[in-house]
Amino acid sequence: MNNLCTDIGWMSLNKHGEQLCGDHVDIVPQGKNSTVVVLADGMGSGVKANILSTLTSKIISTMMAEGMHVEDCVETIASTLPICAVRGVAYSTFTIIRIIENEEAEIIQYDNPFVVLLREGKNWEYPRESVEIGGKTIYKTRIPIQEDDTFIAFSDGAIHAGIGMSLNFGWEREDIIDYMEMMYDKSYTAKTLNTILLDECNKLYGGSPGDDTTAVAIKVRERRQVNLMIGPPSDPVELTRMHDAFFSESGKRIVCGGTTSTLAAQRLGKPVIAQLDYLDAEIPPTAKIEGIDLVTEGVITMSRVVEYAKDYLEENQKYSQWGYKRDGASLISRMLFEEATDINFFVGRAINPAHQNPNLPITFNIKMQLVESLCDCLKKMGKRVKVSYF
Amino acid sequence: MKVVICIGSSCHLKGSRQVVEKLQTLVREHGLEDKVELGGTFCMGDCVNGVNVTVDGEKHSVSPETVNEFFEKEVLTKIQ
Repeated sequence: MNNLCTDIGWMSLNKHGEQLCGDHVDIVPQGKNSTVVVLADGMGSGVKANILSTLTSKIISTMMAEGMHVEDCVETIASTLPICAVRGVAYSTFTIIRIIENEEAEIIQYDNPFVVLLREGKNWEYPRESVEIGGKTIYKTRIPIQEDDTFIAFSDGAIHAGIGMSLNFGWEREDIIDYMEMMYDKSYTAKTLNTILLDECNKLYGGSPGDDTTAVAIKVRERRQVNLMIGPPSDPVELTRMHDAFFSESGKRIVCGGTTSTLAAQRLGKPVIAQLDYLDAEIPPTAKIEGIDLVTEGVITMSRVVEYAKDYLEENQKYSQWGYKRDGASLISRMLFEEATDINFFVGRAINPAHQNPNLPITFNIKMQLVESLCDCLKKMGKRVKVSYF
Repeated sequence: MKVVICIGSSCHLKGSRQVVEKLQTLVREHGLEDKVELGGTFCMGDCVNGVNVTVDGEKHSVSPETVNEFFEKEVLTKIQ
C-alpha cells in the first residue's frame, strides 16, 4: 500500500460532420486502488463505429474489472461484435491500461498507436511482449509504476492529424512524444495534458478532424488533501467544534467568506489583512491570515469557481484564465482541481443577518447551491469529497 | 489617516472596486500617499448601507457616484 492514486482525463474530437464518435473510453474502478481504462476505436465512423467501440470497451472494462483474463475478453469480443456488411469483419482496436493497487500497470494493446509513457517528463520505452490471441497480435506489458508516471493513450486519429494538410505524413508517434515532452509540466493534471494534446491535433487538422480523435491521459500522483471552510455554523455554540474539525485535518486550508475568515482569525489569534488588488475586476480581493493558506470572499468567488469547474469538465477552455491568474477564484480552482485529490468541505449554515434584505442580491440558498454544485463537479473530476455541515 | 473600504460580498456588488480605484487615484492626484493609508476589510455587518468606508474608525456610506464628494468632505478637509 502506498500513497499514490491515479488522475485520469480524456476527451474525443469527432470526425468532421459526425455527431457520434467512433472511439470510446471506459473507466472502471476496481476496488479502491485499481482502475481499468479502455480506449476502443471502432472501424469506420459514425453510428457503426460508435456501436463497435462502445461494445468493445464496455465488454473489456467490465470483464477485466471482474478479474477475467485478457484472452477471455478478446474471445468474447470476437464472438459478440456484429459483422460489418461492407467489409465482412467485426473490428475494433483497443488499448487497455490497468493500474493495479497503484503499484503496477498492465498495458494491453491491439492495433492502436502504442501508449506513450512519460516518466519524470521524459519518454520511457517499456518492454512489450507480443502474444497471439484468436489470430490477433496483442502486445502485453506489466511494469511497476512510480509517482508522476504519465500514460498517454490515443486513437489513430491523433497520428493522422494534419495528413495532406499541414503535414505530409501526419503526426508520427515520435512527434507526439517530442511535443508532449516539451509541453510537460509536473503541475499539470491528466485533463490538462490531454487537452494540450487534443488542441494540437485539432489545430493540425485545421479545426475539422478527418478522423475521430481520442486521447486518454493517466497520471500517477500522490494523494493530497485540501480543506475548505465556508460560512459560520448555524448555531454559534458549534463554532469551536467546527474549528476543531477544520484545523485538525492535515493538508492545505482555504477559508471563504468575510465573517468566516474573521472568526478563523480570532481562533488563531491573528489579524485578517485584506488586500486591495483587483486582479480580476469581478472577484473581490483575497486576504491573508497567518496559518491559513488562502483567504477569500465567499459567494462571488465561489460562483466563479463553480463556473470554472463546469467548464473544466466540458470544453476546458477557461483553463487559460484560472491556470495562471492570482485572483481568489483562480487560486481556489488551482488548489482544488490540480493540487487536491481529497477535499474536505466544512460548510456552516448560518444565515448572514446583514444579507437578509430584499435589496441585496445574495441569498442563503445560493450559497448552499454553490457548495453542492462544486462538490458534484469535483466528484466528476475523480476527487474524493467529504462534506460536513455545521 | 486610515481609510478602510469594505470589500465583502455585498459591498463588492455595490461597487467597492470602483470606490477603491477612485480613492487610489484621488490620493495619488493630491499627493497624499504619505498621509492617507488605504486598506481593505471584509464585511462590517452593515451591508444595507454599503459600500461601507471608515475614516479613522468612523463609518460612512459611499457609492461610486458619491466618492468624489466623500473624498472632499471627509478626507481632504480633515487632513489639512
